[in-house]
Amino acid sequence: MEGIYAIWQRDIIKFFRDRARLIGSFAMPFMFLILFGSGMSGAMSSMIGGSNAAGPLADFDFVEFMFPGIIGMTVFNTAIFSALSVVQDKEFGYMREILVSPMSRTTIAIGKVLGGSTIAVIQGLMMLIFVPFIGVSISFMMVIKLIPVMFLVAFAISSIGLLIASSLKTSQGFQMVVQILIFPMLFLSGALFPLNGMPAWMDFIVKINPLTYSVDMFKKIILQPDQMAPALREAMGLDLSVFNHVITFSQEILVVVAISAVFVVLATLKFSRSEG
Amino acid sequence: MIKLGKNIVEVTGLKKRYKDFEAVKGVDLQVEEGEIFGFLGPNGAGKSTTINMLSTIIKPSDGIAKINGYDNVKERDDVRASIGLIFQESTLDEKLTANENLMLHCKFYNVPKEKREDRIQEVLEIVDLSENRSKIVETFSGGMKRRLEIARGLLHYPRVLFLDEPTVGLDPQTRNHIWEYILKLKEKAGITIFLTTHYMDEAEICDRIAVMDGGKIIALDSPEQLKSDVGGDIIEIATTDNQQAKQKIEDTYQTTVNESSEGKLSFQVKEGSTFLVEFVKNFDIPITTVNLRRPTLNDVFLQLTGREIREETASKHERNKQSMRGGR
Ligand SMILES: Nc1ncnc2c1ncn2[C@@H]1O[C@H](COP(=O)(O)OP(=O)(O)OP(=O)(O)O)[C@@H](O)[C@H]1O
Ligand SMILES: [Mg+2]
Repeated sequence: MEGIYAIWQRDIIKFFRDRARLIGSFAMPFMFLILFGSGMSGAMSSMIGGSNAAGPLADFDFVEFMFPGIIGMTVFNTAIFSALSVVQDKEFGYMREILVSPMSRTTIAIGKVLGGSTIAVIQGLMMLIFVPFIGVSISFMMVIKLIPVMFLVAFAISSIGLLIASSLKTSQGFQMVVQILIFPMLFLSGALFPLNGMPAWMDFIVKINPLTYSVDMFKKIILQPDQMAPALREAMGLDLSVFNHVITFSQEILVVVAISAVFVVLATLKFSRSEG
Repeated sequence: MIKLGKNIVEVTGLKKRYKDFEAVKGVDLQVEEGEIFGFLGPNGAGKSTTINMLSTIIKPSDGIAKINGYDNVKERDDVRASIGLIFQESTLDEKLTANENLMLHCKFYNVPKEKREDRIQEVLEIVDLSENRSKIVETFSGGMKRRLEIARGLLHYPRVLFLDEPTVGLDPQTRNHIWEYILKLKEKAGITIFLTTHYMDEAEICDRIAVMDGGKIIALDSPEQLKSDVGGDIIEIATTDNQQAKQKIEDTYQTTVNESSEGKLSFQVKEGSTFLVEFVKNFDIPITTVNLRRPTLNDVFLQLTGREIREETASKHERNKQSMRGGR
């Protein structure tokens, strides 16, 4: 048990020590929110509501819509890239110090996944700094609800990261694979724009994308779609449904728990079998 | 943890195959508690591979190794708790402080909480790094990093400390320091030290040496014994025509002459001083330098294999490795 804590603790210490990474982690979300979000908001509003929209659709605010997605994106990026440290430890030799200790490989793998998840939650929470500038209102209760959901999502994605990292030997290789994965997952998750009226094959990808359910949970917590007019809710793509059944928050939790369970097992197995 | 019985390391028929290449071709040895045991050999001899098998990093293809009475494969975790390891390549986390590196090690090895502080102070004192405890390792010199690694390897009180090329890439002064620490360890902690090297002078410090070449142990004894087994003394000469001189010596004295990279011929004789007088008097090819000396471990290796260990090329090769690693 102490082994898990030690592996976790090392990642946390290094996260807070790396100022450049800390500051840099704001850059991407900031650009998305300000440049992409504000820049597109006019176009988005007129597409959704018509240029002189009346009624519920006039309430559509694109930046507000994007905010839960940006939190999702941050958690996702941080969690998956946290596994880069596994590859770097192999490259710089520290992995041998870990692997030759009497700790089991499972201990090491769990410690790594927990470390990545914790950092992702911290980064996700840091995105709340943007709240006052974009006019979303977030209550204390929402934050309390967000934390465990972020952690769950981060745990699933960190496991996927560890699975990839255990199969690769170089940082470059890892970064390339992850970059290739990040873009479709992000764009087809509903994080950056409402996913309405997509072709069937794309819709299929959306539905098997773990990020879709993750982002939707953040939206349900922050945007509170059950208090919206149905027309607006639909326009914002908040009625995520599978097989014509509108999926509930608890069902989404189950989906992500299942994804976590599968990938943490796969990652641990893969990590245990990989040669140090 | 201490199991009684004098052999702390016992190895029989240890082999390692990589696909169609056999890196270690059957190694047998016993090491007594408290001994400093060295592996000496050129690049690619299989030193690291053997030490990696003994320290459970890689699985042997064949054979048995026991450390502290535990089987390396079947009781791997017990073996791991009984050994300390210092690798050929650095395995410190350079973004962390010395203290953090040591503290993490205590946790990895289940050193009891209440003992950690004392142990960290103790090992830092052995390697003279107490002052640098809270500095980031990145700011350390190469020698300091090496010392910190040695200190870390001692934290869990291992019975056997494995050191793979402990002083590679370090300047001579730092090398001497590291050796002082290693000898201090032997005296203070009474632990068994198992190391590899391709520096002759380092091998001399060992109680016993296994000379390794091509995946096999070709000689195993104390440095003194190995050298006296060479028999007699070594004559080194340089002449105006080494080719002809070599031929001539070999024909006249029925001995093998080795030519070194610096253009010196060397061969061994029984009674060096009496031989030399006669030799110089009778030799008709002009001699430019002549030297009579006791055999070194290099001569031992030369006699066993017909080749030199080639310290120069070896250390150059290592320095390259070192600088590649430095580029992070
Ligand atoms: N993973 C591997 N796969 C294939 N061959 C290997 C592997 N590891 C080592 N070898 C080969 O086994 C031989 C012995 O290597 P080893 O590293 O044990 O040598 P060494 O005596 O430690 O040399 P050095 O002085 O360079 O450290 C070398 O020829 C090397 O190329
Ligand atoms: Mg080696």
